[in-house]
Amino acid sequence: MSNLSFVGKSRKRKDGPDKVTGKAVYSQDVKLPGTLTGRILRSPHAHARILRIDTSRAKALPGVKCVITVDDTKGIKHGFVETPRYPPDQEVFARDKVVHIGQEIAAVAAINDMVAAEAVGLIEVEYEILPALFRPLASMKPGAVEIQPTHPKVDEPYTNIAGKTETEWGDVEQGFAEAHLVRTDRFESHLRTHGYLEPHVTLAHWENDKLNVWTSSMGTFVKRSKLAKVLDLPFSSVRIHKTYTGGTFGGKIDLYTHEYAASRLSMLTNRPVRIVASREEIFSAYRHGQPLTVELKTGVDRNGVLVAQQIKIINNAGAHRGSGVVVIFLCWGFTMAPYRIPNFKYEGYSVYTNYTTRAPQRGHGCPQVRFAIESQMDMIAEELGIDPVTIRMNNARDPEEDLPNSDNVHQAGLKDCLRLAAEKTDFLRNYGQTRKAADLAGSKRRGWGIGLSSYFTGSLIYPNGSGVMVKMNDDGSAVVLTGALDVGQGAETVISQIVAEELSLEMEDIKLVTSDTDTTPQDIGAWISGMTYVTGNASREAAGNAREKLLEVAAEQMNTPKSDLRLQDKMVISISNPDNRLSYRQVIAASVATHRGDTIIGEGFWRTMRDEPMHPSLATTKGRWSENYAFSVQVAEVEVDIETGEARLIKALTVHDCGFPVNPGLVKGQVDGQVSMALGHAFMEEVVTRNGSTLNTNWLDYRMPTIHNMAISEDADVITEQYKVGQPYRTKEVGEGLVSAILAAMANAVYDATGVRLHSTPFTPAKILSGLQKLEQKKAG
Amino acid sequence: MILYDFEHERPGSLQDVAARLAELGPTAGILAGGTDLLPNMRLKIRTPATLVSLGAIAAQPPGTDTDGWLRIDALTRLSEIENSDTVRAACPMFARSAHVVGSNQIRQAGTLGGNLCQEIRCLYLNQEHDFQFVAPCYKRGGDCCYPYPKNEKDFCASVFMSDIAPALIALGSDIELVGANASRRMAVEDFYTGVGMTPTVLRADELVGAVMVPPPPPNSGWGYHKSTIRGGLEFAMVVVAARVALGEDGETCADARIVIGAVSEGPSRARGAESALVGAAPTPEAIAAAASAAVAECRFLPHHNFSVEYLKQNAEVYLRRILSEAFGRAKTGPGKGGQDQ
Ligand SMILES: Cc1cc2nc3c(=O)[nH]c(=O)nc-3n(C[C@H](O)[C@H](O)[C@H](O)COP(=O)(O)OP(=O)(O)OC[C@H]3O[C@@H](n4cnc5c(N)ncnc54)[C@H](O)[C@@H]3O)c2cc1C
Ligand code: SF4
Repeated sequence: MSNLSFVGKSRKRKDGPDKVTGKAVYSQDVKLPGTLTGRILRSPHAHARILRIDTSRAKALPGVKCVITVDDTKGIKHGFVETPRYPPDQEVFARDKVVHIGQEIAAVAAINDMVAAEAVGLIEVEYEILPALFRPLASMKPGAVEIQPTHPKVDEPYTNIAGKTETEWGDVEQGFAEAHLVRTDRFESHLRTHGYLEPHVTLAHWENDKLNVWTSSMGTFVKRSKLAKVLDLPFSSVRIHKTYTGGTFGGKIDLYTHEYAASRLSMLTNRPVRIVASREEIFSAYRHGQPLTVELKTGVDRNGVLVAQQIKIINNAGAHRGSGVVVIFLCWGFTMAPYRIPNFKYEGYSVYTNYTTRAPQRGHGCPQVRFAIESQMDMIAEELGIDPVTIRMNNARDPEEDLPNSDNVHQAGLKDCLRLAAEKTDFLRNYGQTRKAADLAGSKRRGWGIGLSSYFTGSLIYPNGSGVMVKMNDDGSAVVLTGALDVGQGAETVISQIVAEELSLEMEDIKLVTSDTDTTPQDIGAWISGMTYVTGNASREAAGNAREKLLEVAAEQMNTPKSDLRLQDKMVISISNPDNRLSYRQVIAASVATHRGDTIIGEGFWRTMRDEPMHPSLATTKGRWSENYAFSVQVAEVEVDIETGEARLIKALTVHDCGFPVNPGLVKGQVDGQVSMALGHAFMEEVVTRNGSTLNTNWLDYRMPTIHNMAISEDADVITEQYKVGQPYRTKEVGEGLVSAILAAMANAVYDATGVRLHSTPFTPAKILSGLQKLEQKKAG
Repeated sequence: MILYDFEHERPGSLQDVAARLAELGPTAGILAGGTDLLPNMRLKIRTPATLVSLGAIAAQPPGTDTDGWLRIDALTRLSEIENSDTVRAACPMFARSAHVVGSNQIRQAGTLGGNLCQEIRCLYLNQEHDFQFVAPCYKRGGDCCYPYPKNEKDFCASVFMSDIAPALIALGSDIELVGANASRRMAVEDFYTGVGMTPTVLRADELVGAVMVPPPPPNSGWGYHKSTIRGGLEFAMVVVAARVALGEDGETCADARIVIGAVSEGPSRARGAESALVGAAPTPEAIAAAASAAVAECRFLPHHNFSVEYLKQNAEVYLRRILSEAFGRAKTGPGKGGQDQ
């Protein structure tokens, strides 16, 4: 990696100055004259038949410009997943019945917020209330009230099954029979939400037969395809403009009804329409993450080596399919990737309940399954008298192993991560000390815990690939056209670094035009953990393509072969005769003069798993999933007050194999962000609900960590692979997988500090204290 | 955004405010820092037709009355209280309790009067009420209570969460209420009713003028703790406050005031626990017994997803800890060791 100037360096963020000075444009900052306020009428019931909707009073209110319901739509359905097995299942407004509190029933456009609010209040809806179900086990029961029909391919007698994933290999029964030790444990997770600070905002303007949209998103091309579809418009009539996004974490992918409503209302009124979701609406009617129940049966030999594992996941999936049928697929992947499991059986059920539809949330099931598996791994280790590092070492995958789905882990650095994490934290010296010590003073106890995880780096889902164009300007600077969206992760910076490297340009020479569906090439978006890999390599190809063109023209002009040329400071220089040189400006002018006006435009395209026709089967897991697997090991040091049960993360160490780190500073930002999110997951955050209604609908009562709660977060990488200009970057995922192992590590550390084994998140003081009291009683009795 | 029309006035003196309040009756709302009232208006928890702002009136700086009591104007911003040398020297617990409120931004805007008169909190109430919990509950003038559907009419079992009130009560402070025609003074303790619907005795034509804190008794010490999950920018799970004094022997407890806040409709004094302590030596056993007695005699409601069982456990531990701190400080001399913010 010796000759690299930009890539592999912690370059300053391209978007930094605009964001810090407040110049960055978010959807709320886009102002158009004559904009109407849109507002949505939502269901007060978790499950009810709609008998009648009367919008006449709302329509008659002065200042109201338009009111729409499902009858004003074309009835075209959409879904997070749209495949033959899982066809679109959601309409933008409720038709005939509502299935969750907050479901959209109608929308109004009015001259201001006050009139819009009044108009919504004037819409009359008559309901017949139906019994509602909130617990998946109750909802699955044969004969339970039907929220949505059970998937036709699920032949068990359950109701309300949105989908099922199942797979197996080897013979688990045989494996359990041969195992030295078999454990069965059950782990539960709770409802959390993304906590993006920018609320959902959409501004839509229908003008000259074209719909212009500015919306908070994670990928403008996905938004366009879904919006165009439900509006029944050609893609060319819908333009999603670039705006920055103030946080997403999974909560802004897919189509949302407010986006449809703003668009449709604009089309009907010929005026711009803006809809802003209130924080209360986001907490009570929008999509949250997925609470999973994990039943885990594991058999091991004397050395703790896995012999057989059986896992059953039940997802409380909310009222539509949403990403619920994806999470039950992903949980399989997060289970099989890090450890070798010779005999395996997996079943995942996604069960409809009368909660809001679910979205992906950073980690998308990984924290929940790793919490279960890594907790149980420690329990097994203890029973066998093996330490937590050795048992993991005995099961962790080696480099170049094939996975059961015929993916390959390539340069998997999992064991390197384990070794380094144990060494850096002096893990085996610290672990177990608190519990061994007699008569410790005070009420504070320290504990150490470890966990590991693996995450995929991009898979195939619409739009499947990214394109990038690099336009050379006459003076040798460049404009990069990319559909990539900077949601805070640093996409614009990383793409600029790659282009700067390939073309020997300064970062300042590069300007980006991004994520505008009309002017930039298609992009996979910032949501499938593949942007640096896919769009990054498309950028490399595009810049490389421009470089090749520059070199060709320069070779002609300088009378020397291409192999004799190198690039430096916007000059093409002959290696054999450094005085023979041309500036980019001269080369580009020569290109225009001698190559039929070619000003030099480079194109590049990338797609993961080029030869795979499509994504793997969500139902059977067959087919390839990803070509790059990231690995990580995380260690948590926690402190527990044994009198109050209050616990906090003191220090986290993240050791990761994230492949080639294009920008180590941004990698560190991802690490710290995920540690902070995970400690919120562990100790603070919970969406509290009652009968499908959210009780804590604000930032005070939904407690996300503040800067004061942040633990010391250290990180280290292993095996950062060799890189030469002109070769694909084997970058790996680093933006969401790291919320996982650390969660398990915190649970294991609480155990290490107190002896209390946690089987559910969050790790509240009440749970820890009651665990401590049970231990006391056990000791006494 | 507040989605209804209202009037806004800015009288120039407390007397004028009181006079306007008398004229307008219950349709008026007093606007101080607005950090409690304005969010509540946005959520339509309160819908005053006229806001009578205190914005045109300057707060008097903290000072000492002729009787030696410290006087703090109700309009004083919490940030001034936490940073005031006078307050920190005379009653560090008061400064401490102001310091733990909300966040710096909230304390820069929020006032003492507003803090003491803040609305009670309840997850069902602190909502938008657009499509869930739409029917107004008793507190909003309606006819139901969501968490306690079987409660009798107009019984609101919500929580009063001022962080400062328990400290002031533990310090034995008084409050001054200014009316159009007369003012009245009472113990802060008596200002609170313990009734969710009407948590204070403030009348519609009155406002809080000031708070007066007495000089500490000799050999006294204090302890204060606000339990939260994230340690800041958060209302309390439990607040415990205590002020104790030792007798001349420096060994026996001569006086104790113990207050638990944020767990029921108003701050509660644990009088039983207090009197058990007085006359005894504050041994760890005596302190533990007092903490457990205090928890047993005070009213706890489940709130903000905390169970009564856990709230009691948490309160008991921290009562024990703050009582030990208070006696520790009492031993090192009056008001000493208190500036540990
Ligand atoms: C994010 C956030 C966090 C918060 N955290 C905390 C916390 O941790 N602890 C806490 O105790 N509070 C907290 N609060 C509540 C509130 O901000 C504070 O209590 C603050 O001190 C209120 O003062 P104010 O001047 O802003 O009150 P205002 O909002 O102006 O008034 C509150 C109420 O008191 C009345 N009032 C105001 N002044 C007087 C007066 N002089 N006489 C009579 N009535 C009066 C008003 O009419 C209104 O009913 C928080 C609020 C927010 C928004
Ligand atoms: S406890 Fe009080 S505020 Fe809460 S719902 Fe009942 S009446 Fe309303």
